[in-house]
Amino acid sequence: MTGNGLPLRFRGATKHYGTQIALHPIDLDVEAGEFLTLLGPSGSGKTTLLNLIAGYLAPSAGQLFIGDREVTNLPARQRNIGMVFQNYALFPHMTVAENVGYGLAVRRRPKEEIKRRVDAALAMVELAGYGDRAIQQLSGGQQQRVALARALVIEPDVLLMDEPLGALDRQLRRNVQLELRRRHEERRRTTLYVTHDQEEALILSDRVAVMRAGRIEQIGPVTELYRNPVNSFVASFIGESNLLPARLIAQDGIQMRIEVAALRHTLTLPVTAAPMKMGLADMPLQLLLRPEHLVLDDAGPLAARVEEAVYLGELTALRLRLESGADLWLRRLTDRPITRGMELRVNWQPEHVRLVPQS
Amino acid sequence: MSGQTRQQRKSERQLSGTPIAWRWAAQVGANLVLAFLVLPILAVIPTSFNQASFISLPPTSWSLRWYGNFFADPEWRSSLWVSLQVAVMATAAALALGLPAALGLQRAGALLRPILTGLFLAPMIVPVIISAVAIYRTALDVGLNGTRIGMALSHAALALPFVVINIGVSLRHVDRRWQQAAAGLGAGSWTVFRSITLPNIIPGLVGGGVFAFITSFDEVVVAVFMAGYGAKTLPVKIWESIRLEFTPVVAVAASFMILLAALLFALARLIDARRRQVAGKAAASITTETITDQGVPA
Amino acid sequence: MAAYPMRRERLDTALLLLPASLFLLVWFVAPLSRLLSLAFVSDNGVFDNFTVLLSSSVYLQVLGNTLMLAALVTVITLLLAWPVAYVLTRLKGPLFVLTLYGVLFPLWISVLVRTFSWMLLLERGGPVNRLLMAAGIVDHPLALLFNETGVLIGMVHVLLPYAILPLYSAMNRIDTRLLMASDGLGAGVMDTFRRVYLPLCLPGLFGGGTFVLLLSLGFFITPALLGGANSMTLSMLISSFVTDRLAWSLAAAGSMVLLVIVLLLLGLTMRLLPMEKGMFAK
Repeated sequence: MTGNGLPLRFRGATKHYGTQIALHPIDLDVEAGEFLTLLGPSGSGKTTLLNLIAGYLAPSAGQLFIGDREVTNLPARQRNIGMVFQNYALFPHMTVAENVGYGLAVRRRPKEEIKRRVDAALAMVELAGYGDRAIQQLSGGQQQRVALARALVIEPDVLLMDEPLGALDRQLRRNVQLELRRRHEERRRTTLYVTHDQEEALILSDRVAVMRAGRIEQIGPVTELYRNPVNSFVASFIGESNLLPARLIAQDGIQMRIEVAALRHTLTLPVTAAPMKMGLADMPLQLLLRPEHLVLDDAGPLAARVEEAVYLGELTALRLRLESGADLWLRRLTDRPITRGMELRVNWQPEHVRLVPQS
Repeated sequence: MSGQTRQQRKSERQLSGTPIAWRWAAQVGANLVLAFLVLPILAVIPTSFNQASFISLPPTSWSLRWYGNFFADPEWRSSLWVSLQVAVMATAAALALGLPAALGLQRAGALLRPILTGLFLAPMIVPVIISAVAIYRTALDVGLNGTRIGMALSHAALALPFVVINIGVSLRHVDRRWQQAAAGLGAGSWTVFRSITLPNIIPGLVGGGVFAFITSFDEVVVAVFMAGYGAKTLPVKIWESIRLEFTPVVAVAASFMILLAALLFALARLIDARRRQVAGKAAASITTETITDQGVPA
Repeated sequence: MAAYPMRRERLDTALLLLPASLFLLVWFVAPLSRLLSLAFVSDNGVFDNFTVLLSSSVYLQVLGNTLMLAALVTVITLLLAWPVAYVLTRLKGPLFVLTLYGVLFPLWISVLVRTFSWMLLLERGGPVNRLLMAAGIVDHPLALLFNETGVLIGMVHVLLPYAILPLYSAMNRIDTRLLMASDGLGAGVMDTFRRVYLPLCLPGLFGGGTFVLLLSLGFFITPALLGGANSMTLSMLISSFVTDRLAWSLAAAGSMVLLVIVLLLLGLTMRLLPMEKGMFAK
């Protein structure tokens, strides 16, 4: 299993069913060897987009290129993709080896070659020797690996995965996520991954595309989405967030003054704290304060009472009630015990504050 | 369709999957087979309207003559009446026996259940000619041949499997926990049955009853042996008439049977719809139930 | 934990099961045993009846006829069932319901009426022959009645739904994602059909085929009305033993043979195939 896979370009990908629009025109560029995750709630269009790329659905408009080849009108079997389904879709009437070797068998590869490559693939997913087993005898995690081996053994140009870990329990899921990431860094095959779980996206991806209602809200490296979300939807989808309505009072080329009713405070922020410079006055805005960027500070500007203290082991999450009646979540390393009803003062780390359009 | 680009039109079709030509061929083939299935039955009805004394299809000229003939003939009239009586008795017996049997089966232990299931389903498995000859022999021994009671009992035996299966399917949707909750609230077992179980198995009961009725009414093989002179059902009269006097009146009798089947079929489908409402199941699972609904032809 | 409540429940269950069990034992099992025991009654020894049956060329021919007919009917119905079952899996809404009813309704009509309708259709001057001649396919009416052909057509017609429903049920259960997976892995249509679709349909084919086979072995009405002098089936033979000759022992022996064949086939099927849950559901 060598090679990088090919780059992928989708221009104007659109899909509608009658009057219902599943995907607004989307441009997508995936570099060779990149791991891109489509992240979003159900109905966001992420699976539709994946199915368009796989070739199970035909686009209403748009052009798809894998490498230099235009594949827009090619059926799935001619695109040389590797697909891993959510329920694995392993053939129940075939053994593990027959499943893994299926793609090679329909490509009419000689038997010895098939055996060799299947054995290598099984070894790679740590299922060496399982070839003769019936798939019903395998655990969920093992089946997932067979599905992966089956997709990879044909050396696809692009690897596509549709929420493949949904059926696994939490611990196993975490292990497989780390394994997938490790494998990807070794092999660097172009991969497109669909999930609704932002933690998973964070662990696995080079870049993440956050999708909602058939559009890509923001696409970029995970760190970028976390630090500089482009609107409140992305802000709340990636990482924890506190979002408070904010009003822009004044703005020049360097700074912005905003009023946040819930804090009973007016803040001055650099213009870099917002995703754009123009047009901010015309849209509803929200102030983003992530719980991990709030600190307990006896000299802090906010007075708060602890409504809830959730012990998370190393961290403690506190729900704080401000004087205005608004709630903020705060996360900190657990040191002294903090209980309900305690009166505290809170401050924020100014370099992490963001202003985002409400969406 | 105007205004759509070629690509848009293409996207309405699935890109991958079975080629259109195959699917089209399958549809044509299916239509032919379905016509083969349904149309011949409709051949009977026009024949009954024939004017002449011989059978011809299509009729040489149309008339209601043979319908009059049917109702005027005491033998045809009585055979219809006998069929109805026997069917009612057989249905009542099958329901009275089948309901407790289905309830008991559900509670039976792992050892007893397969044995009893085999017993209750045996009339469905044994070829009907064998059942007919066997029951006839015993009926002769006890003098029940040629009687409506004997006929009804035989039909009840044949219909019992379907009643048990039908009620059994309904029973599976009665959640144990409802019964447990009722018992916990102080209801005795009869009350639990009456207020919890029974209302929820009505579709199974009525559906089973409807199917038992048509099974008895349609039944030929056992009836031919058991009829004698005192219990000639409509199918027996038809059977005799086909071989003895082949006039359109036979088609009239057959048309009535088709009509009855159609009415009961419609009733059963209505019950099914009600049952789906009650159980909240998806349409695909109809098939499983209807396979067990239908039975061996007589 | 008192044993009393448990005993009470067991008693209740027994009481529930008693009426139907007693009834069937008296009016079904006992008569069946009585009949089968007659098979061993003869002046010339316990197995004489069987010897008479199985050594007579006439009777053997009837047996062979019956088996051949059943096999032929099974093959034809399965072939015809295929497009209907497939179409059923693809239809939705009112068209689906209509098609399904088209398959289900014939089952509610007496086999006598359905056979009778074929008598009307297949006779020399009947619609089928007239259509064939009008279409120029033949130039003289075919003998479609009172021979093997008529019996075949009639039996296929009656038994088709029993082949369609299990096949449809199996096809419906096939996860379309398996076909998508096969497609995505590069398989052409023939490959997907041969390697994935067909193997997964086999249980339905098998179930439906067995069902049809078992039913055809016992068929009486249809061969009796549509068949000719030389297309006698085993069930017709049994009936003739009783009504024409009052030869109960021979009838019993014949019944035994038929029953044994049926039970053997049934046993074979249940061994090779876990019974579909719906078939013998409680």
